[in-house]
Amino acid sequence: MRIRTLTAVAALALLSILSPAGVATAQEEPSVGETETEIPHATEECIHLLEEGGEPDDCHDAPSPILPEPKEIIWGSISFLALFFLMSRFAYPAIKKSMEARTEKIRGDLDEAERVKTEAATVLEDYKRQLADARNESSRIIEEARQTADQLRRDLMQRAEAEVAELRQRTREDITAAQERAMADLQSRVGAMAIELAEKVVEANLDRDANMRLIDSYIAQVGSSS
Amino acid sequence: MALIALEFPPVSHLIEWPDLFGTSGPFGLNKVVLLTFLAAILVLAFYLIAGRRRSLVPTGVQNLAESVVEFIQEGVILQTMGPEGLSWTPFLLTLFSFIFVSNIFGIIPFIQMPVNARMALPAFLAIVVWILFNFIGIKSQGLAGYFKSMLFPPGVPKALYILVTPIEFVSTIFVRPLSLAVRLFANLLAGHLLLVSFAVISAALFEATVVGAVLPGGLLIALTGFEVLVAVLQAFIFTILAAVYIGGAMHPEH
Repeated sequence: MRIRTLTAVAALALLSILSPAGVATAQEEPSVGETETEIPHATEECIHLLEEGGEPDDCHDAPSPILPEPKEIIWGSISFLALFFLMSRFAYPAIKKSMEARTEKIRGDLDEAERVKTEAATVLEDYKRQLADARNESSRIIEEARQTADQLRRDLMQRAEAEVAELRQRTREDITAAQERAMADLQSRVGAMAIELAEKVVEANLDRDANMRLIDSYIAQVGSSS
Repeated sequence: MALIALEFPPVSHLIEWPDLFGTSGPFGLNKVVLLTFLAAILVLAFYLIAGRRRSLVPTGVQNLAESVVEFIQEGVILQTMGPEGLSWTPFLLTLFSFIFVSNIFGIIPFIQMPVNARMALPAFLAIVVWILFNFIGIKSQGLAGYFKSMLFPPGVPKALYILVTPIEFVSTIFVRPLSLAVRLFANLLAGHLLLVSFAVISAALFEATVVGAVLPGGLLIALTGFEVLVAVLQAFIFTILAAVYIGGAMHPEH
């Protein structure tokens, strides 16, 4: 019990020391026997009333708590008006400026973002178009190359075939010419041989068997010599 | 009372504070006056610090201050006055912040005195709002137009004007400022008295039996949390009603 009492007293003492604006008028009555106790405000008022011939009951009559105190009205109004003046002159404009700057910045950023988005969409459209063009172009080039290659292949084939045909024709002509030359040569040589043979027949005047042997030997000679 | 060792001080002793530093009279300084100064200084310092930081991505104080400004603009002004009411932002922002800080002192340890639990500040602020909305009404509609739109609201059958006109007059001229002031003052005073009551009960029961203090102590904690809500809510209600009254004077057709 004593500890609790001491704790409560210590707390009250601390409260009264730390209280910034003095002590409330509501204070405990000083206990009997305390010699050096500060007289509370309420007691002071009571003593004052009794000195002026009032009754002890008057001590409980306090001023109405509803009626405003002039000093509180005066200082309150001065405080509020000064605060309002300083707020509207210095504090609020600074905050307003800061908020408006942010609003402007956000609005500007949003506009910029919208502009960049539109620009990006345009660029994307351009790129898509360019890509489509490039695809078309490449398809066209591939198709053209294929056609060129086909054409080239056909040309080469035609040329090769023509060359082959020409070569074949030339060969054939060469063979024919060679045949003709051979025939002409043969004819001329057969003629010459016939004449030569006839000369020999005439010179020898041989019988039939002798003529035949002569002819055979001549042919054999010719055959071996050709 | 003596049986359970409970000694409740008179209500006035919980909210009336003696003059300090040897001051007295109409310019005397007591705890409430000092707290009023402190509230004004805190609000101003908060917004000045927030205004000095101009980072693109707001953090900390700047973020909180800008959130409050946006709340006033979007949650209060645009809802009640429309876009043309945005020029009232400094006034309503000051009103809301000042009332909120004055309220929240009620639960700050070692301060524990809401400035608005005294009638002075709510009464002064309500009078300011009253003057403003009447001035704006007369300025935007003319004296005759303002009183005509106030006393003879359109769309009401003419026979009903016998009832409506006196009601509207009393409501606009007397009830509005009175209700504004009393609502704020009474809520904060009631909250303060609740906290004191539960604190006294908890302390007394703690003296007698530790276990007995658990329930009122728990309720004291819960009520302290509730007072945070009250502090915000009453600041918001005062501000939004001020905006509604001023907006209504600007646009009687709404």
